[in-house]
Amino acid sequence: MIGQLADRRIGRALASSREHLTRFPFWVRVIVFLAIVGAVVVMNGDNYVTAVAVSVATYAMLGLGLNIVVGFAGLLDLGYAAFFAIGAYTSALLMTQAHWNFFATLPLAVLFTGTAGAILGYPTLRLRSDYLAIVTLGFGEMTRIAITNWDYAGGPNGVWNIPWPSAFGYEFNTQAAFLVVSLCLLAIAMIFAQNLDHSRLGRGWVAMREDEFAAEAVGVPTLRLKLLAYVMGGMWAGLAGAFFATRIGTIDPTSFTFQLSVLILIVVVLGGTGSLPGVLLGALVVVALPEVLREFATYRILIFAILLIGMMLLRPQGLWPRVRRKPKPFYGLKEDEARDVSEEILREHQLQVAARGEAALEGEVLLKVRHLVQQFGGLRAVDDLSFEVFRGEIFSIIGPNGAGKTTVFNCITGVRKRTQGRIEFNGRSVVGLRPHVIVSRGIGRTFQGIRLFKLMAVFENVMAGLYPRHRAMTWQAMLHTPGERKEEVQALQESRRWLSFVGMEHAAGRLASELSYADQRRVEIARALASHPQLVLFDEPAAGMNPTEKAALVGTIRKIHDLGITVVLIDHDMSFVMRVSDRIAVLDQGRLIATGQPAEIQQDARVIEAYLGREEDELDLAEAKGA
Amino acid sequence: MHAFLEYTVTGLTVGSFYALVALGYTIVYGIIRLINFAQGDLSMVGAFLGWTLLVSLGFEHLPIYLAVVAAFVIPMLGTAVINLGILQFAYKPLLRRSLLAILITALGMSLLLQNTVLLIYGPSIDAYPPNLLPTTGFYVGPVHVSYVQTALVAVSLLLMGGLVLFVQGTTIGTAMRALAQDHDAARLMGINVDAIIRVAFVLGAMLAAASGVMLGIYYIQIQFTFGFLLGLRAFTAAVLGGIGNIPGAMAGGFLIGLLEAYTTGYVSGKWEDVIVFAVLIGVLVVKPTGLFGERVAERM
Repeated sequence: MIGQLADRRIGRALASSREHLTRFPFWVRVIVFLAIVGAVVVMNGDNYVTAVAVSVATYAMLGLGLNIVVGFAGLLDLGYAAFFAIGAYTSALLMTQAHWNFFATLPLAVLFTGTAGAILGYPTLRLRSDYLAIVTLGFGEMTRIAITNWDYAGGPNGVWNIPWPSAFGYEFNTQAAFLVVSLCLLAIAMIFAQNLDHSRLGRGWVAMREDEFAAEAVGVPTLRLKLLAYVMGGMWAGLAGAFFATRIGTIDPTSFTFQLSVLILIVVVLGGTGSLPGVLLGALVVVALPEVLREFATYRILIFAILLIGMMLLRPQGLWPRVRRKPKPFYGLKEDEARDVSEEILREHQLQVAARGEAALEGEVLLKVRHLVQQFGGLRAVDDLSFEVFRGEIFSIIGPNGAGKTTVFNCITGVRKRTQGRIEFNGRSVVGLRPHVIVSRGIGRTFQGIRLFKLMAVFENVMAGLYPRHRAMTWQAMLHTPGERKEEVQALQESRRWLSFVGMEHAAGRLASELSYADQRRVEIARALASHPQLVLFDEPAAGMNPTEKAALVGTIRKIHDLGITVVLIDHDMSFVMRVSDRIAVLDQGRLIATGQPAEIQQDARVIEAYLGREEDELDLAEAKGA
Repeated sequence: MHAFLEYTVTGLTVGSFYALVALGYTIVYGIIRLINFAQGDLSMVGAFLGWTLLVSLGFEHLPIYLAVVAAFVIPMLGTAVINLGILQFAYKPLLRRSLLAILITALGMSLLLQNTVLLIYGPSIDAYPPNLLPTTGFYVGPVHVSYVQTALVAVSLLLMGGLVLFVQGTTIGTAMRALAQDHDAARLMGINVDAIIRVAFVLGAMLAAASGVMLGIYYIQIQFTFGFLLGLRAFTAAVLGGIGNIPGAMAGGFLIGLLEAYTTGYVSGKWEDVIVFAVLIGVLVVKPTGLFGERVAERM
């Protein structure tokens, strides 16, 4: 007893000392740390040490940029040096040929690299992620060869006599001055990266890394997020390149080889992918190690190769791993803000629907599927299927295994490209749209096999579902502006409301993977609702639930219905389907064999023959009648 | 026209080397969905093993048939052992982990092979015996074709034919094709998945080593760095033909070889790699499944 008490006291003391440190915001800690480092190095006065420190800072800056691509977005970029080269050459040529001031060249250097990133990224980022590694590798080599063959830029000799930067009559021409500039750039890079990581973008990236397919299907625009990471990473390298050019004074193509791309990758991987302090440590190791071990210069890459493989095998999280802070759900929200959720949600929902300018007429056709065909090789999974769903109803699709039910959902949500046929939602075709666009049109869904983001907290999962409704821009996220902060707090409040709506508020801070099966289903429903859909598609929501949980689910579905949201669901449990549905469609081998009210379906001869004719299903039907 | 035909002969010769390396990429990718970055470097290792036999150990003075056979077979076996070691030691523990981790490891392996060869053989260029095969040739119409070119293309066609027979005609080959479609189903059918993966790595390494020795015989000069660009071109060939597609990889290899020869001939040798990569990016943008369709199970 006493021991327990003491333990608790120690625990509390530890917690408070940690809080003590984290009381200072990240940006304060970064600035203080870098200022101390800078001061120590400059005071030391050794020119060699200062020069090495500038190199470390340059690599750290490159590492931070690549970390956005590799660590945040999970993409392997093996041609990162190309961006560094484009930035360096842009700045160097503008300074030597057009006699621009260094600082004036920076926007163009960043713009050019960003454009190059967008041109390369847009077509290739939609490919398999491993292809990207090779494409970027090729891009890196192409860029290097192109500048080697480019006579205007000095060909293999490169650009010479790049002037020092100057501002307001002061010329930066000492290593100490460069150190100050590079540490400032580094501080900015760290703060931006940290803010991005903790914004909705960061959440989107985590979701995408965990399950790209599910992320897209709940409304996260995965292609855009990848492109954003790739372009931003490229722009950082461009900035670092411009800085590198003026500092070194001479640049030539041999400064931008594949080896450099690999070294920057090592900076990120060694330190810990996704970890900001890790990048600093990685840069220190990559730059300082060869300085210390000068006699082994020939084996430098060999040593790094062994380090790289060893890290992947033994310590894949890196030397200074990224710490996922214990998420604090609803931190800073008032206790009573979640009262009377249904009413709150109803109001919010009506607001959202009104904002989209949709007149909600009960009983009109909301979803219209016409002659839908989905062909998989020789198999017609869905064969000339037509049906309608009216606004405000609960519509069920039933049928034996392999009848094509989930395929219908996948076609509606854009996950599959349908072979033929029309799908109209609210009178507009949704065929050919990307899944996240369809979500923003107002269709939410859950999955047959639950696809929550397992390593995200429950409330973060729901917040990921809010993605399509956020308006904060990337620059706002980077700067962590008041507008962005306000939106984040609103997102928190709303995720709390949806969780309480499905009865899961108590588990908000737990990891999704820790929940029971039924609870995971509930969270998935909350995530689907968070986008304020007009129509939700539930794929076997009752699978794996016990009777009590099923009864609760019926209650939840009725509550969703009461919000004015139309529900389409697939399930095998006949008593559940009969109890909850307004209308039922029966599918067999991709064809529609009947639609109607539960009572009609139970008596339909074709249904009984095709689907309920088998013994086990007859039992189900008997049960349904009993209930 | 004459120049065009000459370039075509060169292109087909070089293309046959690319085709062999591309097959290695395609087989391994088809089965475990890994871009084995070390594929090109395995070829380089094979070339150095061949050089060691022929020059350092003096095999070049043996009767020509013996010398050539030894210079192919021993490096092929040696490289196969190395690739098995890489699989067992580095890739196997990572197969169930993230794609990023295993790709980075593969990259590390490529660097490790390069730098190990650098450590052993040094950075200088080594030369294959120039007179190993008869240096003369014959004329097909106006076009000169050397015996070396003929022999090398013949050997690679032989190897490719053997591979196709193996994959299409044997139980192991059938198991490989099954594995490329669906790991779990293959396992349930009683296929020893690990063993088949090992077979894929052995085949990939053997083909790469053969192409390395052929490169040595053809170009005479070899250096520890040549595997990198070779690997990139071969990968481009594999993607061009449709990854996982064995005939596609062969066709892709020849196409890339021809493209390179024409570029060098008509434009400039300085731009050949830029054009090869432009093709890679172009193919991926326009037809990511390659010219002949990929044979890889869909992931969702």
